[in-house]
Amino acid sequence: MRAYTPKDDVQKKSYYTDRYYVAPQVPKFDVETDDVFAADLKAIKAKFKVSEAYIQVEQMVVYINPKNIHAVMTLLKDELEYNQLSECSAIDFIAARGGFEVFYQMLSMNKRKRLRIKFFIKQDEAIQSVSDVYRSADWAEREMYDMYGVIVKGHPFMKRILMPDDWEGHPLLKTYPLHGDEFAQWYEVDKIYGKEARSVIGPEIRDAARVDRYDTERFARLGHEVDFGAKFDENQAETPIKYQEDEGVFMIKKLDSSESVTITDRDR
Amino acid sequence: MQQPNRLRPFFENITFDRDDNELVLNFGPQHPSAHGQLRLMLHLQQEQIVKSHPDIGYLHRGMEKMAENMIYNEFLPTTDRMDYIAASSNNYGFALAVEKLINVEVPRRAKVIRMLLLETNRLMSHLFWLATTALDIGAMTVFLYAFREREYLMDLVEDYCGARLTHSAVRIGGVPLDLPDNFLTDLRKFLDKLPENIKDYEDLLDQNRIWKMRMENVGTISKEMALDWGCSGPMLRASGVNWDIRKEEPYELYDEVDFDVPFSDKGDNYARYKLYMEEMRQSARILYQVIDMYAGTSPELMAHAPKFISPSKIEMMTQNYSLQQHFVLVTQGMRPPVGEVYVPTESPKGELGFYINSQGGPYPYKLKMRAPSFWHTGILTDLLPGHYIPDVVSIIGTTNIVFGEIDR
Amino acid sequence: MAQHKIDFTKDGGLPVALTTIDNVVNWGRSNSLWALTYGLACCGIEMMASGASRYDFDRFGTIFRASPRQSELMIVAGTLTKKHAEFIKRLYDQMAEPRWVISMGSCANTGGMFNTYATVQGVDRVIPVDLYLPGCAPRPETLQYGVMMLQQRIRKEKANRSLKPKRLM
Repeated sequence: MRAYTPKDDVQKKSYYTDRYYVAPQVPKFDVETDDVFAADLKAIKAKFKVSEAYIQVEQMVVYINPKNIHAVMTLLKDELEYNQLSECSAIDFIAARGGFEVFYQMLSMNKRKRLRIKFFIKQDEAIQSVSDVYRSADWAEREMYDMYGVIVKGHPFMKRILMPDDWEGHPLLKTYPLHGDEFAQWYEVDKIYGKEARSVIGPEIRDAARVDRYDTERFARLGHEVDFGAKFDENQAETPIKYQEDEGVFMIKKLDSSESVTITDRDR
Repeated sequence: MQQPNRLRPFFENITFDRDDNELVLNFGPQHPSAHGQLRLMLHLQQEQIVKSHPDIGYLHRGMEKMAENMIYNEFLPTTDRMDYIAASSNNYGFALAVEKLINVEVPRRAKVIRMLLLETNRLMSHLFWLATTALDIGAMTVFLYAFREREYLMDLVEDYCGARLTHSAVRIGGVPLDLPDNFLTDLRKFLDKLPENIKDYEDLLDQNRIWKMRMENVGTISKEMALDWGCSGPMLRASGVNWDIRKEEPYELYDEVDFDVPFSDKGDNYARYKLYMEEMRQSARILYQVIDMYAGTSPELMAHAPKFISPSKIEMMTQNYSLQQHFVLVTQGMRPPVGEVYVPTESPKGELGFYINSQGGPYPYKLKMRAPSFWHTGILTDLLPGHYIPDVVSIIGTTNIVFGEIDR
Repeated sequence: MAQHKIDFTKDGGLPVALTTIDNVVNWGRSNSLWALTYGLACCGIEMMASGASRYDFDRFGTIFRASPRQSELMIVAGTLTKKHAEFIKRLYDQMAEPRWVISMGSCANTGGMFNTYATVQGVDRVIPVDLYLPGCAPRPETLQYGVMMLQQRIRKEKANRSLKPKRLM
């Protein structure tokens, strides 16, 4: 019987973990330890519900309600001087918690502070676009949709950005295999030559360690060149590297290496 | 027998001839002056662009997915292929993020070597930028000159790490090797010549009529627009925001060296060009100071953190426990604590950030790279309308985008 | 008007060379391999470097052309992704015969380190390849060596080789 492998998370797992190993935590500090962050959090808390907030690696993390995201972003930009949205993406927690964690990485240049707004959404839940507050969210949200399938409401151009328009599946989901599903593996063959060409071209060779030393069509050997598709001889002597044919090339003078100068000082 | 070609245009739903006299022009994805695989769908009214749609993803290689299936050290060489013009800065960004996650302090000599690598990479990247942009505008001479200087730098880096392009010269917790004997003298020789070279380029370009016409008042980015679109690095500084992460949130030894951050409030192509030239001078200035820092540092190169970082070769060869530790770290990988970290660094292109979410396993649960070029391409949506077709090339040139990190 | 006096008994004899058509045609072909700029990723930078000052590809008669219709050599330098695959086929089809393809770097050869959903595992799944260059990224010397190998191969071929197009299908 084949061993059961979970289908909802095909990310590579460590083959051995100590039973008694408890992963330590990156220390979280109270927001009150930093005056600037404390003031910011107070301003956010005055208007919106904050479920959790702490400082981790010099940056404040604030968990908010996904419904408030647009208003929170507006507040951050207009009142709290967070003038750049550096990054925004999702994290797939479908296997463990049935949804995504979305984060928005903010930067305030005046305060020299970085802040991360986070919230959790269910798998089929849509979020509100903030691309009208920060233009940079435009592409970030498209990428989020492309990679995770998170639908963003109110986005001006909700299309795939990195993958082709006719792609199936969202690659960064944990259910998506690294080497791609069947659609992905045959994508270019199907598209260019058609499905019936699959048998002619053959499946992709995904084994990175595979070397067929008798295959002279795919492998080049410097110093052991043979013609394309010619038989590879086990005992073939090393062919010295020749840049020109022995009998010389028509109308081309052979380089006389004794006349050439080698510059040793690279100081020109 | 050949089958009928099944290729159909990707843009079937776009009408190229339209009633309102608007022409749709497809630019790329394989265009010599697109600096990679950028594709633009440009809507034109005669020569003027009224709407532009940058289309990216032609170099999407799935690095973030790879990261989730690789141990931390294994992933480091992949970061080389992001911004392949300045590979060490990516290595460094990733290494710094992991170091912050596992809370490790790097020895001073490693810091000095990293600084040397980062700044030589910045020089390499800026020289490459100058070469390609000048080539796109038609200044072939500058292309050849700038590539000549870049080759000297590549030789230097090759002396250090053995690779020209994909360095992997930074490790998590330090650097793998000490500097070769002649590195500092060679670097100093190069730096002594550099001001002359930069002056050469400027003599060729600064007052050049064609260069000025193609650059001045073309592609003007206002301060608000730059901030809104998440621009960083020279793109942001040319638009009047004096923000350099090396200065504002210093990492490594940037708080010990003395350098200026050039910025301009013009926001056009010419301002960006001048900024790159000035940044090269500042890089040279930093390098001079870092060269002096090297002497007198103790010879440790890797941080001591047995839980995360392999011990030194000597320990490994003499102590049984260190060897076991190394074996576990290589086969299973380090297990950082549970948590998340976002670490920005100032790469030659702008703010290069790595967001790592660790769930305590040897594989990152999520790794997101915040690549500056991604946002600098996004801004083309708003920047290009109103410009003419020839301006597209010069604007793409000065945004200094590189597709390895846009599409990742 | 300038008069040039050539002493045919000395300077290399009569300015006449006898050869076969094959030789002449192959000489021409092999020494003016105009390459289509196909810089896709990192290798593209090394391809540029080999065209630039130190490595100087012009010595080989290799000039980078930005148009498929005027070039006979396609140097696929870099990772070919699934999204891009159809374009490489289209550009290859636009090149006039005779045409050759060099696959430069591990990514173009086999997908290289990018063993992922988005990468074509070797350009030879899409277009026929004549020469594979190993390396990540191959040095400019490797590319130049590869071009010299290709030149040797072209010189060996018959000039009017049968018009059997190299096709995958």
